[in-house]
Amino acid sequence: MSELIRLEHIVKSFDDTVVLNGIDLSVAENEFVTLLGPSGCGKTTTLRIIGGFEKPDEGRVYFDGKDITDLPANQRHLNTVFQNYALFPHMSVGENIAFGLRVKNKSEQYIKDKIKYALKLVNLDGFENRKIDQMSGGQQQRIAMARAIVNEPRVLLLDEPLGALDLKLRQEMQYELVRLKKELGITFLYITHDQEEALTMSDKVVVMNEGYIQQEGTPEQIYDEPVNAFVADFIGDSNILPGQMVDEKVVRINGIDYPCIDGTEQGFPPRRKVDVVIRPEDIDIMPYGQGQFNGTIISKLFIGVHYEMLVQSENGKVEWLLQNYDQHEVGEKIGMKVDPENIQIMHKPKSEAESAMEIDI
Amino acid sequence: MIAKKRFAAPFIVWIIAGTVIPLASIAYYGFSSRDGGFTFSNITAMFQHDHMQALGLSLLLAVISTIICLLLAFPMAMVLRDSKYGKQGFLIFVIILPMWMNFLLRTMAWQVLLERQGVINGLLAAVGLPRQEMMNTPGAIVLGMVYDFLPFMILPIYNTVSKIDNHLIEAAYDLGASKAMTFAKVVLPLSVPGIVSGITMVFIPALTTFVISNMLGGGKINLIGNIIEQEFTVNSNWYLGSGLSLVMMVFIILSMVLLQKFDKTGGANLI
Amino acid sequence: MKKTLGNIYVLIILLFLYMPILTLIVLSFNDAKSMSVWTGFSLHWYQELFQSRLMMGAVVNTFSIAILAALIATVIGTMGVLGMAAMKQRQENVLMGLNNIPMLNADIVTGIALMLFFLMVRWPRGYMSILFAHTVFCIPYVILSVKPRLNKNTDKLFEAALDLGASERYAFRKIVLPELRPGIMSGFLLSFTMSVDDFIITYFTRGAGINTISTLIYSEVKIGIRPSLFALSTIVFVVALVVLITVNLRQSRQDRAAA
Repeated sequence: MSELIRLEHIVKSFDDTVVLNGIDLSVAENEFVTLLGPSGCGKTTTLRIIGGFEKPDEGRVYFDGKDITDLPANQRHLNTVFQNYALFPHMSVGENIAFGLRVKNKSEQYIKDKIKYALKLVNLDGFENRKIDQMSGGQQQRIAMARAIVNEPRVLLLDEPLGALDLKLRQEMQYELVRLKKELGITFLYITHDQEEALTMSDKVVVMNEGYIQQEGTPEQIYDEPVNAFVADFIGDSNILPGQMVDEKVVRINGIDYPCIDGTEQGFPPRRKVDVVIRPEDIDIMPYGQGQFNGTIISKLFIGVHYEMLVQSENGKVEWLLQNYDQHEVGEKIGMKVDPENIQIMHKPKSEAESAMEIDI
Repeated sequence: MIAKKRFAAPFIVWIIAGTVIPLASIAYYGFSSRDGGFTFSNITAMFQHDHMQALGLSLLLAVISTIICLLLAFPMAMVLRDSKYGKQGFLIFVIILPMWMNFLLRTMAWQVLLERQGVINGLLAAVGLPRQEMMNTPGAIVLGMVYDFLPFMILPIYNTVSKIDNHLIEAAYDLGASKAMTFAKVVLPLSVPGIVSGITMVFIPALTTFVISNMLGGGKINLIGNIIEQEFTVNSNWYLGSGLSLVMMVFIILSMVLLQKFDKTGGANLI
Repeated sequence: MKKTLGNIYVLIILLFLYMPILTLIVLSFNDAKSMSVWTGFSLHWYQELFQSRLMMGAVVNTFSIAILAALIATVIGTMGVLGMAAMKQRQENVLMGLNNIPMLNADIVTGIALMLFFLMVRWPRGYMSILFAHTVFCIPYVILSVKPRLNKNTDKLFEAALDLGASERYAFRKIVLPELRPGIMSGFLLSFTMSVDDFIITYFTRGAGINTISTLIYSEVKIGIRPSLFALSTIVFVVALVVLITVNLRQSRQDRAAA
């Protein structure tokens, strides 16, 4: 896949607050890339710089190999689906969609056909004469999509487009977005603070915090191999614990040694202090005394498919979060075991830049 | 960004020429003597007996009219709040309508009613009662002020009380408050912003008026507004007029500061 | 019980508000000049009013000044709002503070301040000085009506238009202006009514020989009330009634259309 967008060392501050701290990012043609992070992490500013609504203090923006850093927004070959949609309230649905085409002086017939095509694409056939305020939130979201895609952009920028919708609608729209992307065959650059959205839709997820990119990778990589405690904590529920390498591929947590699959080769030599992440679903429950460590169940919640339990370990008095399909009672004493490949070893933050990556929620 | 700073250029010119320089010139004349020297005498002139009397009377009449307006307006606003939807719109309309009539004509109407040969005395005479001297009294001036400014008190108070969520009142009842208690502890504190803007809109024009006192006081009762107006139009003593205006402005600013404080404390010292 | 009491109260207040106006209306049709004796129906006070060249001149002045002042204030005020949006918060606060002065200040102070200004810069007092003074006190109302319409949302819509390829000028005309329009309209109407209604500031900034309706009424009342003023009151009242009813009807029709 060829590269379509490249950010080179983007720095941006507002009133002495540094929002972006040297962002480097590459987006390939036809990729679905998601910028994921908590509010204030700089993801929206990154998008606005690509869209042309902000100028970076430092760094360059390349589009299809050309430097577009100084190109105004209205001359860039990309379109944005805005947060809260920014639909023009005084225009009908059709006029909203036609806006970009009218600007480009397309023929009325062309515009008419395009509106029809776009509304069909977003499943809103025949709504062109409705007023914006007669449409529901979900419908407005689709209109915002239609308004952007009729301009045939090579990249669609989506700024938390599902943020204002309720849960069920949001899940429906996720499928819808993936379908649209396939049909249009264009690049999507998506922004969200919702990890589930990021993991279900993207080809590539870019986790951001405090103006730094924390990790880039496929959803699987991000989930299974978080590089630091921030990413681990932000993506899904997890047990994050301090530990120390005691031997080649052996990590000690709370006085118990666990075999793992990371060693000197991966940058974790013996004696190195590390952070360890273990996903709650990766802890297996065994009869008492038969696992690697023991504990007492202190609370239990049924959350649909599985149970979520808090277990107080006997050693170190640590509370572990577990997810399990089987029913266990509060107060029950159990044994637990973790497979070596489910123990994710991570570097502790050391430099100043990295300390921004510390858990901070 | 939609905007460019230079769009504000004419606005800034207007502010400088229409507000800043004119106010500065009042200050300049207020502190100058006729020969151009610096002096405080235009300011201290306020202490002269007839000026003090006019200022005192102005303050007194303005306070009285403001209180009467407030007492009349609050129940009106509450009734409006509780009345049915369509009727509410109609009542607001009926209150706004007189505001659209030139206030000189409205003041003149009271002259017509109160004069010695006026309507009320005509009616009194018709039933055999003696004619009354109602014009040219402080009472007539207060009546005119209340009449002219009452809608300006009703509307802002109505605006705030109509926005008080009924649930708050129900919550107060639910928590065992009596009607009087609910009014004192919930409704009244929440309507403070409306009361404050109502008072501003009545007190300041009442304090500074010269028209109402001229028309209903027959030129015999001098308020501070009349004194200042005469310095400018009759005596052409802009220096003295400016000095007295500065002192009057101090009273306006003082009253606004007091009201602001009152607004910020949420009327905590009201009860 | 409480309801009846409330209704009676409303009735008393309305009687207080309307009795003087109704008195004027009745007297305007009275044949005699008397304010206390009814001598028969007549329209000759209306005739006198319409034949008064002084009054007709004042009417022309009042409305032409009001229209011009409202127009100028609307343009300058709207541009001012746009300009302030580009400024730093502190600069904007200073301008807004100054902008509020004519609204909060007593009219008599604004009036004499402007009078002194005209004297100082040797601007002859007459039609133009009244017009300028009226724009000064109208602009704050325009600013206050337009400013709330220009917010984050307007910014977003403007950006959306640019995103779709519109030039700044096109985006302003097609998107921002329609968003501001209700504020601009109400600013204009507010300015117009404030200008028509003003007496005090006009009184200090006019020269000899020029009158608006307000100043003419004032000088005539000083000489002695003539029933032709009752006729004027009736006309003003009826015009206000008609205008307000039309505005209200249009408003409620729009509300119903929106619902």
